[in-house]
Amino acid sequence: MARMKFICDAERCIECNGCVTACKNEHEVPWGVNRRRVVTLNDGVPGEKSISVACMHCSDAPCMAVCPVNCFYKTEEGVVLHDKDVCIGCGYCSYACPFGAPQFPSQGTFGVRGKMDKCTFCAGGPEENGSQAEFDKYGRNRLAEGKLPACAEMCSTKALLAGDGDVVSDIFRQRVVQRGKGAEVWGWGTAYGSAAKQGA
Amino acid sequence: MDKLDLLVVVDPYPSATAAMAAMPGKPEDLNPNRAVYLLPAATQFETSGSCTASNRSLQWREKVIDPLWESRSDHMIMYQLAQKLGFDKELCKNYKMQKVKGLDEPVPEDILREINKCVWTIGYTGQSPERLKAHMKNMHVFDVKTLKAKGGKDKETGYDFTGDYFGLPWPCYGTPEMKHPGTSNLYDTSKHVMDGGGNFRANFGVEREGKNLLAEDGSHSLGADITTGYPELDHILLKKLGWWDELTDDEKKAAEGKNWKTDSSGGMIRVFMKNHGCHPFGNAKARAVVWNFPDPIPQHREPLYGTRPDLMAKYPTHDDKKAFWRLPTLYKTVQDKNIADKVHEKFPLILTSGRLVEYEGGGEETRSNPWLAELQQEAYVEIHPKTAADRGIRNGDRVWLLGATGARLNVQALVTERVDTGTVWMPFHFSGRWQGADMLAYYPKGAAPVVRGEAVNTATTYGYDSVTMMQETKTTVCNIEKA
Repeated sequence: MARMKFICDAERCIECNGCVTACKNEHEVPWGVNRRRVVTLNDGVPGEKSISVACMHCSDAPCMAVCPVNCFYKTEEGVVLHDKDVCIGCGYCSYACPFGAPQFPSQGTFGVRGKMDKCTFCAGGPEENGSQAEFDKYGRNRLAEGKLPACAEMCSTKALLAGDGDVVSDIFRQRVVQRGKGAEVWGWGTAYGSAAKQGA
Repeated sequence: MDKLDLLVVVDPYPSATAAMAAMPGKPEDLNPNRAVYLLPAATQFETSGSCTASNRSLQWREKVIDPLWESRSDHMIMYQLAQKLGFDKELCKNYKMQKVKGLDEPVPEDILREINKCVWTIGYTGQSPERLKAHMKNMHVFDVKTLKAKGGKDKETGYDFTGDYFGLPWPCYGTPEMKHPGTSNLYDTSKHVMDGGGNFRANFGVEREGKNLLAEDGSHSLGADITTGYPELDHILLKKLGWWDELTDDEKKAAEGKNWKTDSSGGMIRVFMKNHGCHPFGNAKARAVVWNFPDPIPQHREPLYGTRPDLMAKYPTHDDKKAFWRLPTLYKTVQDKNIADKVHEKFPLILTSGRLVEYEGGGEETRSNPWLAELQQEAYVEIHPKTAADRGIRNGDRVWLLGATGARLNVQALVTERVDTGTVWMPFHFSGRWQGADMLAYYPKGAAPVVRGEAVNTATTYGYDSVTMMQETKTTVCNIEKA
């Protein structure tokens, strides 16, 4: 069974926000709720880097550990999902999450702090796969349709990869080898190899 | 805008132009007979047709839904305008008509076929709707790196893809039947012309001041029967080469007295390219000295509005032109006046503009899309930290951008080292706010873009490119103060 993972290659991310837009469009996520976002460090100075961040579907997910009503569950493919019918919108998961993944819609049943919303790895929720009820609460269930998350599918530079963790890490490892540098060496300058190496 | 007799806005969204027409100006300016029309144009999803990407490949777009509400496709609007003006029969003589929501509209396939029939000179002739549709349905047969199909046939039509480049990137010469594969790289002498190869175009005559402008011996596309330079193809050249009789009788009739761009049969192109591997536009040298331009070799000239009078004196602009594309156009007069008026002292910053990834063009459509609008909610100006600090401006402050013509733009400051101390930058996708005021009330109800902001070109100034007459929107001067 595949273990689903995201990886964002900061070497390639060009801060186009295509992933964010794809996510919003796919799941009809309301204004102000960001299941995915692009974070840019050192904006406007040499060495600027961007990375696309959403729920990382942690193996040992802190949100699951702290949720007082136990609304989280993990699928067989390692996707961390939650049940909005159980969620009380307390926001404890947002304290626990190192990535700022949990979002709290300002409109809805619970007023100021609605039920938590987050990236589902395009895997819906506890409702029947592909049902309207599932779509309304969690957005489209692409995994059930045999498709990968819309954000990574849409990524124009293939910086954002999603899918079976083994495959994703193979691709990333190959890139690191090809660049001739470790995964810690991030930056646009090395994305297409150095001029010296190409003999240019 | 109040003085106009007629204003017609054709757009899927009522643009800022439409809103500005509704914005009250000076009462004495208003033309009592002014007519303003908003024609809701259909989007790309509400019609079909070809579209060309920046790699020159064409794709066929299928219609997803019928036009919503009262919107109509561009070609229906053109047809109906031609009807009113009384030349619809002439406009549509090569088109079959189809009904869309009960109204007549030219068939998009026929429009492309008409383009195919006439645009020989830039190779927009081989990309028939049939070939493009076959490509779209069989994308998998094309190599993602070279764009080339190694083989494969369309199941329905039996069309053979072998050798085609995806989307038949123009130039795709000759008739669709000739099966030119499109050109993935221009001027590539390492390939045969029927494999997308080519050479530089003979477009400037054959000789100038005693120097040969055609290619020299041995410089030609792969496999060409003529192994030196040659001029563009016409009936005389074909006859001189002894290749005239390779035309069919019908082709001879069409080609007599013509050149490759006016031979409506495409026969001369076929014989030249397919039988002899030669390029119909000739084989010449590229030119680096463009003798018919004001500057045959590009040289630096300071803009009309600049911040460095010393450089303006050293690198002055062109002389005024009395008739440039028929219009009197000022250069030196404006620059000299700006120097004399010391414009640079009042406006010490260079203002330039550019694009954001979230929006497109003027942004009317993209700022109306909430998914995109959420990502860029404010028009802003990028200012260097020193420039900002000198003016008491902090990141995120509202500022006034003062243009040299008196325009005042209220925008947000983005303090960043991306620009230097003497330059400020604004994205050009915004409109819907005018010198500090929101134009929301002047859009048709419910049709305003989600995000509205100051348009940078409210603050740009006079100036035109000396060749193309493109307006100067990329450099002017301004000042900025805290709002």
